[in-house]
Amino acid sequence: MFRPVVFNEEVCNGCNTCVDICPMDILAPNPEKGKPPIVMYPEECWYGGGCWARCPLRDEGAIQIITPLPMRVSILRGDR
Amino acid sequence: MDTSIEANTIETDVLVIGGGLAGCMAGIKAREHGGKVTIAEKANTLSSGCAGTGIDHIWAYIPPVHEKMGYSIEDLMESHRNAIAHGFIDGELIDLVARDSYNRVLDLEKFGINFRYEDSKIPGGFRIVPQFHSVPTTFNFDGRDIKVKLTEEALRRGVTIINRVTMTDLLSTPDGRISGALGVGTRDGKVYLFKAKAVVLSTGRANRLCRNVTGVWGNHRVPVYETGDGRAMGFRSGVPIINMEFLSPANFSIGNYELNLGSPRNTVQPAGSVVDAKRKEIVPRTYFWDWEKLGKEKVDVQAVLKEQMTTRPQVRPDYPELHSQGKGPFYLDLTSGTEEEIRYIEWSISHEGKGLRFLDYLKNQERFDFRKDKLEWLPNSREMAGTASSGLLVNKDLETQIKGLFAAGDEVGGVPWAASPGALTMGWHAGEMAAKQALRQKDFLPVNEEKVESLETLCSNMFDSKDGLYWREIELAVQNIIDHYAGNVRSEEMLKRGIERLVDIKNSVSFRVENPHELGRSLEVISIMDNGEMVLRASLERRESRRVPFGFYRADFPESNDEDYFVFLAQRRKGEKVEFSKIDIKR
Repeated sequence: MFRPVVFNEEVCNGCNTCVDICPMDILAPNPEKGKPPIVMYPEECWYGGGCWARCPLRDEGAIQIITPLPMRVSILRGDR
Repeated sequence: MDTSIEANTIETDVLVIGGGLAGCMAGIKAREHGGKVTIAEKANTLSSGCAGTGIDHIWAYIPPVHEKMGYSIEDLMESHRNAIAHGFIDGELIDLVARDSYNRVLDLEKFGINFRYEDSKIPGGFRIVPQFHSVPTTFNFDGRDIKVKLTEEALRRGVTIINRVTMTDLLSTPDGRISGALGVGTRDGKVYLFKAKAVVLSTGRANRLCRNVTGVWGNHRVPVYETGDGRAMGFRSGVPIINMEFLSPANFSIGNYELNLGSPRNTVQPAGSVVDAKRKEIVPRTYFWDWEKLGKEKVDVQAVLKEQMTTRPQVRPDYPELHSQGKGPFYLDLTSGTEEEIRYIEWSISHEGKGLRFLDYLKNQERFDFRKDKLEWLPNSREMAGTASSGLLVNKDLETQIKGLFAAGDEVGGVPWAASPGALTMGWHAGEMAAKQALRQKDFLPVNEEKVESLETLCSNMFDSKDGLYWREIELAVQNIIDHYAGNVRSEEMLKRGIERLVDIKNSVSFRVENPHELGRSLEVISIMDNGEMVLRASLERRESRRVPFGFYRADFPESNDEDYFVFLAQRRKGEKVEFSKIDIKR
């Protein structure tokens, strides 16, 4: 149903830091060396963001966490 | 799939089960006494426990600040006892936490965490804000990497860390002495047999007892990898567990992205307020204590305590009650904050829990700005009440009724909102006591081989099962039972029925797994079932109501009954029976 973690193949170098970090253990190393990890159990993500926070190539955009629609906040904008 | 289960045997003087804040501190301290120290962790100590992605605040009695204010440790404890715990607190344990908290902060500083700021005007160069007590006692600090630093320190001292092992059983001798513990590797599928001279249990709370409100599995304020494994193991081994009935109703907070900010106090301050649709103030905005004067001028201790007691209900309204009166929606409003205040709040959030990722999401996906936009307050998922901490019954040295078995942090019952200082201080003390116990004992005690075989059989049956169910199916059925029978309104007949249904599931349902990962999740659901049963049984036994802030309501006993129930209710398993006793609350 959800795609909580998405890797950018162009940027991710397959260091697997996120695989080690994930407390829910939902990621697995890619059998092909240097490629992004595989999201084995997307339904078990707890959206803690540890994988993203500790990604050495986070600022380059190697990893993204996608917030599911039911989790998105309700905002009252500006001057309303 | 090869379904034969192989046991790994590991001998260690001290075994720490659960490597969160408490467990890491226990390991670090225990190593000072020599001997082999092992931490068994179900996830990875770099990111596990309630502080896995960081904490921005720790409360403490801070001598360089509070002594000059004429504010004593006793004043802090009085404030904690009255305003936070409403008397439901163990005097000896809060004393341990309050007295040692500052020393543990200094330890964290030695391990490489920054607590001091050049722009601070407070003695020590700290950043200190109000949170729990009648004067500010909470450090704000750069705590995002706290688990990384603790892991590095533990490894530097020679602690062995074994990640990805979910612990399932305690091993003890017939005369009640600990001899080890059992677990299962969730990547290798192997049974781990630990022979130990002393054990520290520090696995945290049970955070998957109830369904979450958004329907996105895993989206909870507190980590869902904590499944009450320690309480379950303790229960199965006949250790008394207290306060399990206090599973509280959902309150409102930043929805739907559930995260641990404690706003609009704690992490979201100063400048945090809550308003309704017509901008009417529901909770007034916070202000910092005057930082020019904090820690320099004396305070009127009685007056600040009185003020805390009168203002606390106002700043923590009963949102579900307001909601039921048709009031709402409610919004978190920081728009009155100055640029400096907003930047402070964003710094604070970025170090706390899921905060760093939350800020990134707010800014980059929602284009949200605290300076002009407001966030709607929505219900959070239910969780074990922080106002009456459940957990193992321990003595003042954190030892349980099994000799050589200690507990620390959220594993310990009877210290509400001990939180991170509780984890740090109790972990340290339990580590020391466990190490001393291990030193006194020359040999390993015999382990119960039947338990090893029984775990091996349980696991291989799950692999071989044709009719077994997927763990999540069982978890959902159990959560439905807890939500319905131990919900906001409870009663004798309902609770009895709930117990019947839960016990029926426990006895009749089997799990099916295809790999070690699913095996781990299934073992967690077994913990959840045991925790759920304890919640239902304790709720049945407490024949009174104890409303705000405990949120415990028995329709058949709507009044509070201090004479009979101003006690901790302890339950322990004896054979197939569960026995209850009332534990006097030591002041």
